[in-house]
Amino acid sequence: MSPRRTPSFLLASLVGALAPFVPGAAQALEPEVTSDTSAQFYDVRSPTGETVIARRRLTTTLGVSVYDLHDTPDDPTGPSLSFRARMRYDADYGGTANETNPGNPSGVVPGFERGPVDLMYGYVEGRRYLGGWLGFKVGRQYVVDSLGWWSFDGGQVKITTPLYFAVEAYGGLEQRGGMPLSTPRFEREGIWRGDRTGYDPALYPSFQPNDVAPAYGAALESAGFTWLHGRLTYRRVNNTGASNVSEFANGLRQPVSYSGTRISQERIGYGFDGTLPDIGGVKGGLAYDLYNARFANLYASIDAYASRKLTLSVDYDYYVPTFDADSIWNFFLAMPMNDLGVRASWDATDHLAFSAGARARAFGVQTANENVSSPTAPNGLPDANYFPKSSLDLMGGGNLAARWHFGEGAVGARSNADVAKNGERLGIDLYGERTLETRFVLSARAGVWQWNDKLRTDRDAVSFQYVAGVGYKLWQRSLVFVDFEHDMNRIAGQRFRGMLWLSMAVTK
Amino acid sequence: MTTKQGKSVGAIAYLVLVVALVLAACTAFAQDPPADGAPAPSTEDADAGAVEPAPPQPAPPPAPPATAAEEAQAWFTGVDVSSGQSPLPNNGPMPLKLLPPGAFEQDRGPSAAIFPPQKLTLRFNHKFHVEQQKLQCKTCHVGAITSESVNDRLTPKGTTCDSCHGTTHDDLSRVTPGSDASGKCNFCHLGYKEGDGNLVAKFDIPRPNMVFNHKKHAVRNINCQQCHGDVQELELATRDQMPRMRGCFGCHQHPDAAARGEAKATCETCHVKGGGQEGGRIKTAFPTGAMQPPRWLHNSQHTPDFVQRHKYVAANDSQFCANCHKEEFCTACHDGRVRPRNIHPNDYLNMHAVEGRLATQKCTSCHREQSFCLGCHQRVGVSMSGPVKDSGRFHPPKSEWSDPPRRPGHHSFEANRNLNACVSCHIERDCVICHGGKGIGGGFNPHSGSFVAGCSTQFKRNPRPCYVCHDPGAAVLQRCK
Repeated sequence: MSPRRTPSFLLASLVGALAPFVPGAAQALEPEVTSDTSAQFYDVRSPTGETVIARRRLTTTLGVSVYDLHDTPDDPTGPSLSFRARMRYDADYGGTANETNPGNPSGVVPGFERGPVDLMYGYVEGRRYLGGWLGFKVGRQYVVDSLGWWSFDGGQVKITTPLYFAVEAYGGLEQRGGMPLSTPRFEREGIWRGDRTGYDPALYPSFQPNDVAPAYGAALESAGFTWLHGRLTYRRVNNTGASNVSEFANGLRQPVSYSGTRISQERIGYGFDGTLPDIGGVKGGLAYDLYNARFANLYASIDAYASRKLTLSVDYDYYVPTFDADSIWNFFLAMPMNDLGVRASWDATDHLAFSAGARARAFGVQTANENVSSPTAPNGLPDANYFPKSSLDLMGGGNLAARWHFGEGAVGARSNADVAKNGERLGIDLYGERTLETRFVLSARAGVWQWNDKLRTDRDAVSFQYVAGVGYKLWQRSLVFVDFEHDMNRIAGQRFRGMLWLSMAVTK
Repeated sequence: MTTKQGKSVGAIAYLVLVVALVLAACTAFAQDPPADGAPAPSTEDADAGAVEPAPPQPAPPPAPPATAAEEAQAWFTGVDVSSGQSPLPNNGPMPLKLLPPGAFEQDRGPSAAIFPPQKLTLRFNHKFHVEQQKLQCKTCHVGAITSESVNDRLTPKGTTCDSCHGTTHDDLSRVTPGSDASGKCNFCHLGYKEGDGNLVAKFDIPRPNMVFNHKKHAVRNINCQQCHGDVQELELATRDQMPRMRGCFGCHQHPDAAARGEAKATCETCHVKGGGQEGGRIKTAFPTGAMQPPRWLHNSQHTPDFVQRHKYVAANDSQFCANCHKEEFCTACHDGRVRPRNIHPNDYLNMHAVEGRLATQKCTSCHREQSFCLGCHQRVGVSMSGPVKDSGRFHPPKSEWSDPPRRPGHHSFEANRNLNACVSCHIERDCVICHGGKGIGGGFNPHSGSFVAGCSTQFKRNPRPCYVCHDPGAAVLQRCK
C-alpha cells in the first residue's frame, strides 16, 4: 500500500467497521456521521522575507458516533453505552518531498509530515452502570482538567457515589507524535521528538526517538451539587526507550544515548468552583509539578453579581513554564508571571451584552547573580553583568467586547490592547453573521490592528483586514462555506487567503 | 507518470473517496431537510388555533382599563372585560413570590430556546375561576396529570368552556356563542369584533423544546404550584409561569449520579437529546434561540469575553462543558488546524511574534511548541537548527543579544521572563552550545540559585537532561548524585 493511499484506506476501513452500527440494524440506535473539511490557500513568508512557503492545506475529519447501544433511549437514568470516533487527515500540499525525506539531510524538517492521519479520539463509553455507580471509557480519549488538555490510549473507570463524590482512575499510553495515528499535541513541552526511522544517528540528534509512554492517573471529584464542584487530579507519565544526550553532530562529542524508564511528568492539580445565585461565584485551581517541586500554575476568579445584569470580576493567574522531565529547560531559570485583572460584564438586554476588562502582569526579574558559587560566566565576567533594581517587570492591557445577537445572526466587536517594554499590540475587530431564510449564511469581519516589536522595530506595522464569506446550509448541521481574507500592511503588502469549508452531518 | 502528477492523482482520489463515503452515508440516511429543527406542526396545534386558518397575528397589547362606556356595553353585568389580559390587574408588576420557584426578581422569563414565545389571544382570569368558581387546575387542564409528553396539548379546548359559558365548540367551523355576555366570542377572544363570523385570532403556545412527563410528577403529589408558581393568584398565565431550571434543581441533581432518591437525573432527563450545531449530548440550537448556560450555573455565562475566561470553567469541570459541546468543538482550537480569527485576529502570522513574546495568550494552551511552532519556524528559517539557512537574523545583533556580559536587552532577560518563547524556535542543542557544562558547552550556568538544593531528586527520577550538559563523570554532577 502506498503511503498516499493510507488516509483513504483508514477512513474507508473505519466506516466499514462501523457499518453494522448504523440504522437498519436496530431502530433505537442513534448513529451519527459527521465530516468537516477545510481547504486553505495562503503563503507564509519568513520575517526577513527571503523564504516563502505556500500553504495549500486540506484538513478533513470523519467522525462516527453511535449512541444508545443498549437500546433504552427513553430511560435517561439507566445505563448508556456509546461509541465515538473521529479521524483526521491534515495535508499540506505546499510541502515538498525533500522536507520529509531523511535521506536528504539538507532539506528534511524533522517531525514534519505532509499528510498525517490521526485518530483524534475513538472510545466506547459506558455511563450509569450498576445503578449509576459505574462509568467507563475505553479507547483513545481526552482528559481535560486543571492539568490541561491530554490524550491517551487506554481505559478509565469512574465510580460515582451517592455521597456527593466520585473517584476516577485511568491508565494506558500517552498519545505521542510519530506513533501510528497520533499527533504530538498532547505531550509535555520541551522535547523535540518523533519518528526517527531512516535518520542517520548524527542527523539532528536533538530530534529524539519516540517510544511508548505508559501513563496513569486518578481523580477525586465532587458529584451532584449544582452550585459547587471540585476536582483533585493526579497524573504520571513515564518516558521509555533511548534518548540522545549528545546533541552535537559536529564532532565535539560522539553520539551518546541514555536508555531506560524515567519520568516524563508527575503533577497534581485541583480545580473548584462555587456559586451562590444571588451573590456571585468563585473559581480557582492549581497545577503542582512534583518533578520540578514547584507550582506551575495557580489561578482564581471572583465574580460578584452586582445586579441582575451586571457582573464584576477579579481574576488572578500565576504561571511558570515547566517541561517534560527529559527536557533541559526545566533546569533553566524561569521567573513566574503574575496576572491580575478586573472586568465587568453587562447584559444590557436579552440580545445585547458588553464585557470590558483591564489587566496587569508582573514578570519576575532577576536582580542579582543567582549563582554565587557557580558564576554565570566562567570567564570571570559575572561582576560585569547588569541586573535591574526592581524585581518586577510590569505590563498592562485591556479588552472590550460587545455582542448583539438576534434571530439567526449576530454582530459584535472585540478589541484588545497589550503594552509592555518589549512590545505592544492594539486593535479591534468587527464581525457579523446572518443566516437568511434558514439556509443562506453571510459572514463578514473587518479589523485594524497595530503592533510594535521593541526588539525588532522593523517589524512594526498597522494592518487592516477584511474577510467576507458566504455559505449555504445543505441540511441540518451541514454547510458549505467559502470565505476570502485580505490583509494589508507594510510587512505582508497585500496578502490573500482563501478558504473552503464543507461540514456535513447525517443522523437518524 | 511523474511524481508530481502522482501526488495530484492521489489527492484527487482521496477527495473523491471521502466525498463518495459521505454521500453514500447521506443516501443511506436520506431525509427531507427539516426547516432547521423546527418541530412539525401537530394536529392539536391546529385544534387550539383558529377556527379557520388565519394568518398569524401578533398578540394585541393589553387593553387599557375599561371605560365607562365599555362597561356599559358589557353584556354580563358585573364582569370586568378588561381583566384576564395580563397576569395582574392593569398589567401590574409581578412579585417574585408568584413566579415559579427558581425565578429571580426582575426575571426576564424562561429561556426562549426552551419555551418559545407565545401568542395569547385569549382573555382568561385564573384567579376568578379558582377563587370564585372554586375550580381546580385539573378541571380545565384535564390532561395535565396524565400527560407523559410535551407534545400533549394541555391548554383547555374550547369545549372545556362550553358547560359554563353556554357556548358550543364541538365543531370549530360552526362555533355557537352562548346566550349571555360570558358566552359571546369577544368575551374571551381578544380582538374579535361583531361581523368577524367564525374567525378569531390564532392562539399559539408552541411546544417546549424539552422533555417532560407531567404524570411522573403528579403521582408523586407534586402540585402545579411547585413548578408553575401561584397561577391561582393571577389573571392571565403567561410564559413567565413556565418552570425555571433553577427550580428543577430543587429536586433534581444535574450530573450522572448513583442512587440518590427518585429525582436523580441527567441533562437528557429534561433536555432534548442529540447534537445541535455544535454537537453535544443535548440539543442546544432551536429556531427560537440557542441555549446558553445561565450565570448562576457554575458561573459559566457565555459573555462576550468568555473565550478568554472559559478555562476557569473548563479546567474545573470539563464534563459540565461536555453536556453541550462535543470534543471537536473544543479541539477546533485546542488541537486545531484552522486559525480561529476570534482568537488570532488580523495578520496574525506577522503579529504573533509580539504576542508570543508578551505571552498575552498562553501558546501552549493549544500548541505544542517543539512540534507545531518549531516545525513551521524551521521551514521558514526562523530557527538556528533547521534546514533553511537563507533567512536573516531574527534577534537583535549578537553583540547585544547573546554575548557576555549581560546588559539591558540581553536574551537572558527574555528567557527569564518567558522561556516558552525560546522553546518555540530553539532546540536543546542551540542552548547547550553556550549553557552546557565545560567541555560540552560554553559553561554558562543557566540554573537558578536554589537549583542544587533539589537537583538530587530530579537526577534520581530522570538523569537524562543532566547528561545533555554534563559528562556522567563530571565533578559538578556529583553534587546532584
